[in-house]
This record gives sequence, C-alpha cells and structure tokens, in this order.
Amino acid sequence: MPKLTINGKTVTCDAGTPLIEAAKQVGEHIPYFCYHPSLTRPASCRMCLVEVEKAPKLMPACYTTVAEGMVVLTKSDKVIRARKAVLEFLLLNHPVDCPICDQAGECTLQNLYFEYSAQESRLKTRKVNKVKAFPIGPEVVYDGERCVLCTRCVRFCEQITKTNELTTTQRADMTEIRPFPGRELDNDYSQCTVDLCPVGALTSRNFRFKCRVWYLDTTESICTGCARGCSTYLEHFRGEVQRFRPRTNPEINSYWMCDHGRRLYREPHEDRLLNPFIKGVGAVPRNKGLAEAVKRLKAFRDAGRANKLAVVLSPQGSNEGLFSLIRFALKYGVERFYMNGKPDTAFTLRNEPDKVADDFLIVADKNPNTTGLRRLAEAFGITVLSAASLAADLESKKVDSAFILGANFPLDLDKKSKLWQKLEDADLVIFLGQRATPFTTLAHVSLPSCSFAEKQGSYINIDGIRQVAKAAFEPHGLSQPDWKWIERLSLRLQLGWEYENFEDLEAAANAKLAAPPAKELEEDKNAPAQT
Amino acid sequence: MPKVVTREPMSVLERSFVPEIIRGLSTTIKHFFHAASGQNYHEKQHLWFLNKGNVTYNYPEDVRTYPKRYRGQHRLMLREDGNVRCVACMCCSTICPANCIHITAAESDDPSVEKYPASFVIDELRCIFCGFCVEACPCDAIRMDTGLHVQPFLDRNNAYYGRDLLMELGELSVAIQGGDKS
Ligand code: SF4
Ligand code: SF4
Ligand code: SF4
Ligand code: SF4
Ligand code: FES
Repeated sequence: MPKLTINGKTVTCDAGTPLIEAAKQVGEHIPYFCYHPSLTRPASCRMCLVEVEKAPKLMPACYTTVAEGMVVLTKSDKVIRARKAVLEFLLLNHPVDCPICDQAGECTLQNLYFEYSAQESRLKTRKVNKVKAFPIGPEVVYDGERCVLCTRCVRFCEQITKTNELTTTQRADMTEIRPFPGRELDNDYSQCTVDLCPVGALTSRNFRFKCRVWYLDTTESICTGCARGCSTYLEHFRGEVQRFRPRTNPEINSYWMCDHGRRLYREPHEDRLLNPFIKGVGAVPRNKGLAEAVKRLKAFRDAGRANKLAVVLSPQGSNEGLFSLIRFALKYGVERFYMNGKPDTAFTLRNEPDKVADDFLIVADKNPNTTGLRRLAEAFGITVLSAASLAADLESKKVDSAFILGANFPLDLDKKSKLWQKLEDADLVIFLGQRATPFTTLAHVSLPSCSFAEKQGSYINIDGIRQVAKAAFEPHGLSQPDWKWIERLSLRLQLGWEYENFEDLEAAANAKLAAPPAKELEEDKNAPAQT
Repeated sequence: MPKVVTREPMSVLERSFVPEIIRGLSTTIKHFFHAASGQNYHEKQHLWFLNKGNVTYNYPEDVRTYPKRYRGQHRLMLREDGNVRCVACMCCSTICPANCIHITAAESDDPSVEKYPASFVIDELRCIFCGFCVEACPCDAIRMDTGLHVQPFLDRNNAYYGRDLLMELGELSVAIQGGDKS
C-alpha cells in the first residue's frame, strides 16, 4: 500500500486509488466537474489539477493514482491560479442565468466561482449562443449554454444504463450534448443524468421551475415504488413533496434511482382521504369515526363472529403499522389474513411495456415492504392469503366482513368490481388507508391514515435490508399513522397496548422481526447530489 | 451583566407638576388657535401670532407631497411586447422579510423567454415596505416608485395584489432587454 503526503498529511491507501479519493480520506476536498466515483475518468474538465512534487506540470487528481512517497499540494498558489483559470474558461460563454436556472443553489460551478474565482468577465466579444430548453428526452430538458461538457451524462448512458443515447456533437466552443439521430434520452434512469449534471444544463421536467432549491427541506426517506426500496432524500416545501433524490447507499441503489420512482412525488398528495367517513353520514371528526368503528367492532365480537372478520394487510405499510394490526387482529380473534398491494404492472419499463422488471434496480414486486409483511406473518405464525382468495372466501362465507388496510388491490378491473360487490354486501367493512377510493363510500367506517412521507416507519426491501423513512411533514387533514388508529382501537376494545411511544412500538416490531437496526449511512444530507 | 440605570430624583418644582401642566396646556391652546385659523399648513398666515397654519393635514383633500424615493405600492414592469418583465426567479420572495410575495413559475410559450410568473401575488397587508424586493430583482421587474400608498382594505382578500393588477401601472424599463449585446 503506497504511502504519500497530501498537504503535509500522511495517508496510506490501496494502489490505484485516485488522488481525489485519497485526499477525501484526510479531509481535503479537491473540486471537480467530470469525475464521478462510479464512472470512467476522462480527466477533461481540469478543475481537479493539483501540484505533485517533481512532476513538471500540474496533474489531474481524478486520474493520477497514488504512488509511494508522493508529495501532493492541493492548495498551493499555483493550484489556486489554475483553478481560477479553469473557471474563467468555463464561464467564458456561460450565460450566467442563475436567477432562472434550476440548479442555482446547488450548482458546482456557482459554488466554485464563489470559492475561487469571483472575478469580472474579461470577454470582449459576443458570447457563443447555443441551444436553450432542448427536449433531450421525455423527462429531461437540455440547455446547451449552461453545459460545461463534463460528459458525465454521456458516460452514465454508456456505462451505467448501457443504453448509449447521448454523445457530444460539433467541436470546440460549439460542442453540445445531443442524443444520436432518431433517439432520445428515454431510458428508465434518465433523470439520474439531472443529478449527475454539475450545472443546470440538464433539468428534470417534473421539477423544472417548481421550487427554488433553497426552499426545500430534506428528509431521509425511501422510494416506495418497488421492492428495491432505493434510499432517497425526500425534498419538500410547505408540506408538499417536490422531488426525490437518490441517497447514496452502496448496498441497495448505489447513486441511482429510476424515473418511475421519482414520479411518485405526487402520490402522497393525490386523492387523499382527509376525514374519517361513516357510511350514510359523511365526513366526521376523528373521535366520531373512532367511536363508530369501536361500536361496530364490539358488536361484531359480542355476536361471536370475530373469526369471520378478514384482515387485509398491505405491503405498502410500514413494519410498525403491520405489526400493530396483526397483533390487534390476533387479540380480537381474527383467523384469516389476506394481502393486497400494488400489482406488478403498476409501472412497466419505458421501452419494453411488457416487462415489469429490469436487471438493474427495478424489480417486479411494486410494494416496498412485502418482505417485512412476510417476515412478520412468519413471526406471528399466521398464513397470509392472496387478494384473489378474499373474493372466493367471501363467496364461500368463510369470512363475511373485512378490515382493510390500504386501497391497492393487485386485481384486474373485472375481479375488482366483483370484490367490491361482495364487500358491498358484507356485514362490516372497516377501511384504514390514505386515499379516497370506492372504499370510502363502500366501507361502513373509513379511517384516514397518512402516507409514508408523514410518518416514521421502517420497511424491509427485497434483499432483506431494513431502512427507516423519516417523517417529512405533518399529516394531511385528520389523517394519522395507521399504528395510532390501531392503538386507539386496541385501547377502546380492551385489547391492551403496552407501547408508550413510537420507539417502544418500533423496538417491539424489530424484536418480532429480529431484524438488525437500520444501518446509518454516513453522509451529509446537504451534500450535493453529485458526488 | 444588567445595565444599572441611575434615576435623577425629581426636584420640588417638578414634583408639584404645576409648571409642567402650564407648559402642556399652552401647547394645546396654541394648537387650538392654529386649528381655529382654518388654514392649511403651507398657506400664508393671517393671524400675526401664528407662525404656521394648521398642524394637521386635511387629508384626503390636502395630501402631503412624498419624497421622490418614497417606497409606495409595488408595480411590475413590462417587456417591449407588453408582457411581464419578471422572470420568476424568486429572488424577491426569497429576500422578503415579511414573506409576502408568492410566485408560481411556469414555462413560457415565448421561446426567447424561459420562465415567467404564472401567478405573482403580493400580500400588501403583510408587506412592511422595506424595498428589499426591488433591490433583489436582477432585471428591474419590480418597483415601488408609484408614489401611491396602499389604501386601507375593508376585506383582506382585496389586499392580495395579483400579477395583472400589479402590471397595470407597469412601464418599459430603461434597462436593455437581454443585455447589451454589442
Ligand atoms: S449552471 Fe450554475 S452557474 Fe450556470 S446559470 Fe445555472 S446556477 Fe448559474
Ligand atoms: S449536460 Fe451536464 S452532465 Fe452532461 S456534459 Fe453537460 S454539464 Fe456535463
Ligand atoms: S417591500 Fe419588503 S416586505 Fe414588502 S414585498 Fe418587498 S421585500 Fe417584502
Ligand atoms: S420580480 Fe424580479 S426578483 Fe421577483 S421574481 Fe420577478 S424577476 Fe425575480
Ligand atoms: S475531475 Fe479531474 S479533470 Fe475533471
């Protein structure tokens, strides 16, 4: 292992480590545009030049690997002068339209200008004009003038998605990024290029002009799009999710997440059930809805029919919610459990509409916590039947009532409407969920629960990795986490509730799952998306 | 360390209040004659013992002239084609200490304009007329040079000045649109 000194600090690292990474180990940050740890290194932007003793010229720290006895200076006058010069070149034809640029506030070029350059432009001629707001793909817009030609986006499509849509066209100061003729940037991960782009040259259609980045609050969360459960930052403004950004997690999603997951940013706000609903009465306050549910459940139990109640669990729910519901149901006397959830076809690959999974991140199961549900069922010793068998069991009168968590059913329209009809005739239907769906009018009592963005909860992904999604903002309307509704139901029905707070519940659910606590990722949440 | 305030003890004369009462009443009486003269502040005086007219203004018939840089009601400036000059950068709403500017940005149909405010609302009741928004604007799109003060409102909803209302007083800016390209 070579040993070298960087700014007088000694560091030992594996042969082949680039100087940029070696410097990170001793807390020295070397600025860069074109380098990315998971991509090849063209060493084209020259922002990372550092002084290496005995080398005749400055060396790019992204490409130069460590060597025994190297003496590296990253802050010498010569290096600073080089950085200023590089920035001056990059900014020569740059439009500097920061006020209308979505990247402003998280722009590497802007940050470095303030850090190193901060000098007036010396350009006396007209700036070169290039393409503005070019639709490079269905999700991404390209601005040629802002582009610093780091080719990260090109390399991403070459090396990560291996779809090769992009290339550079023209030469010198006319160079632009373009898709190959007849193609567009339409792979399932295209918005990762927006994160990768160090400047505002690539912007996301979903986020474009929606919110200035300095207004955003950032919460560590997960993507609920599929069972992969990519680690994300959920960024929100005034109680509304504005965008998702991948959170670096080498065990799950590395630096990426798919476009379909990002598009779910509207989901926590769509068709929300904001009040408890009682059939025939309408929206009621929380205590009324709760009292009605308790009254009906009590009467049902007193009639000795508790074993006729079907409990439908949702793999969209968090471990804590599912744990409380199963525990509640078993104490109540429920015998048959079912599972709903989103169908595998909730979204399909953009270019292969018949495929529900790819060999990178997207998996077939479109629910974030199927593994957690299965493990909890195992731990509680219950069998969980499919949603399709619920209709059959209602038919054969094995069950005649239902307590339903979540409104997603992986059934086709025909089967769904049949199930709805059966439930319409059922003696008791209680719905606990986040969206206003046909259930709201069908169920005797509907209780509003909040989305994953409004509550803390843990989820277990397809590989058995447990992650925590934190609460980003206050619950909408009168909704509250499902475990809170269950807590109240348990207490009112004298079924006991021994958890004083959420932490107790979390610990109990964890003990049941025997899952190791979620691994804390070492990363600053304010760090720019591009690493 | 708390600051110690030493108080001067009042003299006997002060404690009797008599001279202070006389002083106060004489001011009141003087103003009574000023008002009785029925003259406005700027008008030439007829009564010899009055060196100036009425101390109050007969507002709204008699309006005080505001200084040139008086920060009055906002207006949004216009482009050469009459569209709003604002590019919805939100610099003003970011700097606004009263948090009273609400902008929704949208993509413009005009290819030479990237972003424009689909809605631009200033809550004039909340505004503290600090003028920071004008300072922050990178393109001379918002100004407070109308010389008008915001009228009182009977209904709070009327205090939300929308984009089109703000543009009614708008004019062309002297700044060159798109910058000097020579
Ligand atoms: S890319 Fe960066 S420097 Fe360029 S206009 Fe956008 S924010 Fe400003
Ligand atoms: S569009 Fe962005 S990522 Fe691609 S080359 Fe230009 S600056 Fe780099
Ligand atoms: S004058 Fe001050 S308070 Fe009023 S809108 Fe402008 S920045 Fe806000
Ligand atoms: S008025 Fe000026 S500062 Fe405010 S959003 Fe419009 S352009 Fe930006
Ligand atoms: S980061 Fe080293 S040359 Fe671009």
